[in-house]
Amino acid sequence: MPTEVTYGLPYDQWNWRIGVYIAMIGLAGGAYLTGYVADLLAEKRDSRQYGQVATFGYLVGLGGLAIGPPILLSHLAAPFRAMMIPLTMTNLGSWMSIGAYMLMGFGLGTTLMFLWLAFGTNRPHVQTLDSSNEVAADGGEDVAADGGPAKAATSDETAGGFRGAANKVGLMNLLDSIADYTRPSRRNRLVVGALFGIFAAGVLVYSAMAYGSGSTERVALWDPTFLLPVQILTGLGAGLTIAVGLAALAERDVGRPIQNCSLGAAGLLAGGLVAVLATLFLLPEQIPEAQPAVDNLTSAYALEFVGIALVGGLLLPIVLSIAGTLGVRRDALSDSGAVGAYVAAAALVVAGKLALALSYLMAAEFTPMPLPV
Amino acid sequence: MSTQDSNGGPARVIPNWESCIDCGACEVACQRTWDLPPESDRIQVVAIEHGTDNETNKPMQCYNCAEAPCIDVCPTEALHYTDNGSVRVSGDKCIGCHYCGVGCPFGAPQFPDGEVPEAQESEPLGARGNGLMDKCTTCEPRQENDLEPACSSECPTDALLFGTPEELSEKLDEDNVSTPFNEESAQIIFGDDADEVMGD
Ligand code: SF4
Ligand code: SF4
Repeated sequence: MPTEVTYGLPYDQWNWRIGVYIAMIGLAGGAYLTGYVADLLAEKRDSRQYGQVATFGYLVGLGGLAIGPPILLSHLAAPFRAMMIPLTMTNLGSWMSIGAYMLMGFGLGTTLMFLWLAFGTNRPHVQTLDSSNEVAADGGEDVAADGGPAKAATSDETAGGFRGAANKVGLMNLLDSIADYTRPSRRNRLVVGALFGIFAAGVLVYSAMAYGSGSTERVALWDPTFLLPVQILTGLGAGLTIAVGLAALAERDVGRPIQNCSLGAAGLLAGGLVAVLATLFLLPEQIPEAQPAVDNLTSAYALEFVGIALVGGLLLPIVLSIAGTLGVRRDALSDSGAVGAYVAAAALVVAGKLALALSYLMAAEFTPMPLPV
Repeated sequence: MSTQDSNGGPARVIPNWESCIDCGACEVACQRTWDLPPESDRIQVVAIEHGTDNETNKPMQCYNCAEAPCIDVCPTEALHYTDNGSVRVSGDKCIGCHYCGVGCPFGAPQFPDGEVPEAQESEPLGARGNGLMDKCTTCEPRQENDLEPACSSECPTDALLFGTPEELSEKLDEDNVSTPFNEESAQIIFGDDADEVMGD
């Protein structure tokens, strides 16, 4: 007669740190990729605001990396050994090794792309003397608050912020020199960015596969067919929403490019919401063993999953992103009101992404292996 | 009794659940023999049909699977096959990521927090502590001295069988009992020898 063996649930072994790690690398990969698209648009349309979104996209990529992997390392029993990644992660059949190498390539890519946009006298997409909405082509003097050399005659809040911080710690000249020295031509920078985009896409995929993939796949909730779209779409949507929120805050004004990006973010988040709902309704149909975990999501972890992840982290940001944009376009909302909506959406998606990753971890159950006695 | 050098696949311990009386002697034998930290359960008496009237407890440990899922997922190759096909963990390579714990279908990987000297991490029979992966080694040093694993030798009811797939098949036939595994788990544990152990 088939019977069941009860072992510890996955969250006994993997605690909140794994959830934070997965959430952070997911939104980092998404922010890079959507930032890169904004970078392309900035180049194509000579639009500084798309450039701002791109800069912040790369910055969010860096931020996700600064938070996620160290938290993962703190969970490991031998973190220093794990930091010797190129020497220790030798099994390329393991998603954890693949992910480690993806994160390394992604880290290099997002650092360089951010450096090239935010530092140097010839940085792309910077505000010009003549126009606040054109790409600089001159070598104008900086009059930004940080006082460092730059080309913006009008205030360049984004660059001012980054550059101000770098200036305070005495690194600005060094970073400017490195950026100018290493930056390829415009076309080549975008080609290099696309190549690093492969690592960013790999990180997004890995953010799904990191959930215990393996030959036995004993956690039905983590079925890759359903989990991959969830992680990819919520990663892209959350990453772009944060980049838009930060760009709007830095600009204190929402031009068409930021509005368009905000609508794009809302679309991606809506796709993520559909993917999560498909998991709730279709996964148990396809894989009956997933039913208990899906029930856990909507009962034991309803606050985290339904309340914070779905309503707070997806639905509300979609509404805020659309309302902010439509409000400005119809003159029903001031620019500062729209900035507030975008910033609130950004804060909510961070909380939502964390709650989503944690509830997928906590609600998961090992599929018992039936053992005939 | 077989040793690791026997032909016909590595010697393993598997349970004969029908004989288990849930006395816990195997757990005590293992802990005492290897001086394990208290949190370590290289062999563990687990709940079957948990929460039902039929709930019972049976011994489970690492089966040194022929198609080991833990080896597939281990990023550092801390888990590996020995020359004779057993599964070993190198304490000096493990980073304590718990990936094998999620990948193993039998709940075998342990991550005891007990402090053990750094030097012991590099011994070939597991880390035994420091939060690194630890699991049953089928008592390799005892086998080298022609002794059975401690758990099977101290089980009062012969509920733990030790041997190569061929020998296990014979023992199960003698007792007229089936293996405690279904087809999927037998394939993971015994690989190409699964049919032999499962019988008809
Ligand atoms: S029982 Fe688990 S730990 Fe042991 S070899 Fe099989 S998969 Fe690995
Ligand atoms: S915990 Fe150790 S043995 Fe297990 S997968 Fe991680 S590195 Fe490998």
